[in-house]
Amino acid sequence: MTGRGPGTIIGFPHKRKLVTSIKLFLFFCLSDVSCNSVAQKIYVELNNTVPCVRLLNATHQIGCQSSISGDTGVIHVLESEADLEWPLSKGPNPPYMVLLESSLFTKSIMMKMKNASSRVAGVVVVPKTSPPEFSPHTTCPNENTGVYTETYDHNLAHCNTTVWNPRGNGLSYEEFDFPVFSLKEDNETEVIKQCYFDHNRVVNGSGLQYPLCAMQLFSHMHAVTDTATCMRRSSMDFSTSPVMVCDPLGGYNVCAFIRPYNSTAFGHKENESVVIAAARLDSKAFFLEDSTGAEGSVSGFVTLLAAAQALCEATQEAPRTRNILFAFFHGEVFDYIGSSRMVYDMKNNMFVIDLDNVHSILEIGQVAVRSGTNLFLHSDPVSRRNNTVHDEVTNLVKNLQSSTAGLNFSFVETDFSQPLPPSSFQRFLRARAIPGIVLADHQTDFNNRYYESFYDNAAHLNLTYPSNLSPEEQLEFVTDTAKSLTEVATAVARTLFKQAGGNNSQVNKINADPKTVTQMLYGFLVRSNNSWFQVLGSSLRCVFCLSEPNPPQYYVGVAKSSHQANALTYLVQYLLANLTGTATNLTQSQCKKPDELPNESTYLYSYLWVQGMVPPNSTQRESFCVRTAVRLVKAVSPAFDLGDYVSKEYSTWTKSQWKFIKARIFLVASRDLEMLTLGVGVAVLFTSLLVTYFVSTKADVLFSSVREPNNAAY
Amino acid sequence: MNLERLPNEEKLTLCRKYYFGGFAFLPFLWLVNVVWFFKEAFVKPTYTEQLQIKTYVKCSGLGFLLWVAVLTTWITIFQHFRAEWGEVGDYLSFTIPLGIP
Repeated sequence: MTGRGPGTIIGFPHKRKLVTSIKLFLFFCLSDVSCNSVAQKIYVELNNTVPCVRLLNATHQIGCQSSISGDTGVIHVLESEADLEWPLSKGPNPPYMVLLESSLFTKSIMMKMKNASSRVAGVVVVPKTSPPEFSPHTTCPNENTGVYTETYDHNLAHCNTTVWNPRGNGLSYEEFDFPVFSLKEDNETEVIKQCYFDHNRVVNGSGLQYPLCAMQLFSHMHAVTDTATCMRRSSMDFSTSPVMVCDPLGGYNVCAFIRPYNSTAFGHKENESVVIAAARLDSKAFFLEDSTGAEGSVSGFVTLLAAAQALCEATQEAPRTRNILFAFFHGEVFDYIGSSRMVYDMKNNMFVIDLDNVHSILEIGQVAVRSGTNLFLHSDPVSRRNNTVHDEVTNLVKNLQSSTAGLNFSFVETDFSQPLPPSSFQRFLRARAIPGIVLADHQTDFNNRYYESFYDNAAHLNLTYPSNLSPEEQLEFVTDTAKSLTEVATAVARTLFKQAGGNNSQVNKINADPKTVTQMLYGFLVRSNNSWFQVLGSSLRCVFCLSEPNPPQYYVGVAKSSHQANALTYLVQYLLANLTGTATNLTQSQCKKPDELPNESTYLYSYLWVQGMVPPNSTQRESFCVRTAVRLVKAVSPAFDLGDYVSKEYSTWTKSQWKFIKARIFLVASRDLEMLTLGVGVAVLFTSLLVTYFVSTKADVLFSSVREPNNAAY
Repeated sequence: MNLERLPNEEKLTLCRKYYFGGFAFLPFLWLVNVVWFFKEAFVKPTYTEQLQIKTYVKCSGLGFLLWVAVLTTWITIFQHFRAEWGEVGDYLSFTIPLGIP
């Protein structure tokens, strides 16, 4: 009995060694946190990427597709269009991953790469300075779903008379079979460029030495061919659960009547006449999640929001002959999803009014980039051949022109034979000849040089703030753009007042507030996470608690089956509610269930709990309940309700689903080295098999000499 | 099962069972029949039942080749034209690949 420790067992000396080695291993392992990731030493993950995804409609698929295990290519930074020869023909190590700066992201370069797609593994775009003009949209937006078809008027169809977007190169509507990603200009781009300069740089045209810097992009899209195919495949029942491969695009329209109706009573309202004031909410870009739409959509709906505020302040007392509906349509870029849905609902008695109740329509198009002091009034020549419609339109034009008295601009009618620009009003005309006007800053083709592209941002609208201002001061600073949009909003509000039968003497008291307009422009185009939006926002839906100070996404997104709208819709809903509604004294629980109170009705109004301000001496926000007539109306194309996925009448746009999207860079070795390694491994395998075979057959010869002494000892 | 130990009548019964069983849309049963009884039918010295076993083996072989021809043709056509057949192709498929037509 010697004094051994309690942990050892007599006769098992190896156990102590095992325990010690385990302890040493754990010590070394835990001291290096990532002790098991060889992957982290090889790959550098790129996190800040925006992919180009696949969209489908009734006849085509557009966008980009990668292979299911990613596309790998040797990085090549393109310096000019002539430099394209290297990846397309001269380079010795295809396929290449081409890195472009935004000035080289043009249709001709992309088409050349599309045609040589066996040598191009993918394209990465680094947005930098804006080119002088760039529009990836088509030249005639929404040409098949507007009102100008062959049957309506042969001469005006397919933009025969006026090409609205002449700079459009149609890049967004092309199909690429390699992935295209966009990187933000930040540290990751620097890492890539450093890797390129270290390993891939061509020196005097001589060959490159392996290892080379390569990038791998994963953006495998599940849907293919067209909407009918992918919706059919999504709905087939297999023995396992069905796989959804695509989702229809859609969202919510924001609607508010000045004098609300009972929201459960659909269909025609007797003796009610409504003037619709419309604007578009959404826009898109080549990289869908990067869409900004400053001139394309923000200018229009900010003006309408300001006009709504001005009108509601002035019309608290006087009832008017006609009602006004403020309608903000979502999904208009994708073949008029929101407006076609509203017209469909009106025709089928699924909306609180129907088309007979609509008196006239005033739509605010792109109004921020003026070339002069005029704004132009576009009308439809075909419906004006009818005398009643013509008289109403002339009356509306007269109201518009008289409401610019005292303001620094004037309204000018466009040429009588010119058709309407792409606008939601066209969908109403498709159903019925309603008098209406579309306001725009362009007389013939668009003034917008960046229509539906990611350069249509705050800089395009000349939203410049003096550099010494803090973000809060920038929020309050009234820019020139804000002043001009305020004047437009004032004119629109006065016109709507007159259209609705208001008293002419009261008209000049209606004025839009420039401070509201500039705060809205700041919030929508520069920084959403500002104090004004936080005050007006919802505490429940934390869509305003944006961690990055980026503006919200303007792309309409997919229609979710849960009643969740995207951030832009909520922002517009809460803004409209606060600008046109009234604050009440209800508590939070009363705000959720106001029907129990005698004066409140959820049939007429909706009640929203607003975050409110932080008073100076405390940290708690003073939240309150707003009673408002603003409602969200579902905006999904009627084609999906009808099950007609090849519809030529309605929008059939869907977006593909995918499993994951990522990008990473790493060094690749030459193909020869890979084959050599594989060959050596296979050779070692066969050699070891042979050796084992020979040793086992000659075992008695090899090992017998060891045994004999034992036998001899026996 | 070792055929060496069976008497000849039992070998014939077994061969017949496999032959008739293959008519129930089981071509692999015919393949097994051919492979297993090949030595018995053609290599071993003659015995009484061998002629019948030979017939069964030959017919099984023919049947198997016919199945192979039919299935190869159908599989080739289906794999080639499934994408073009659109709706019909999708309804005939059990799993549809993602992302390719």
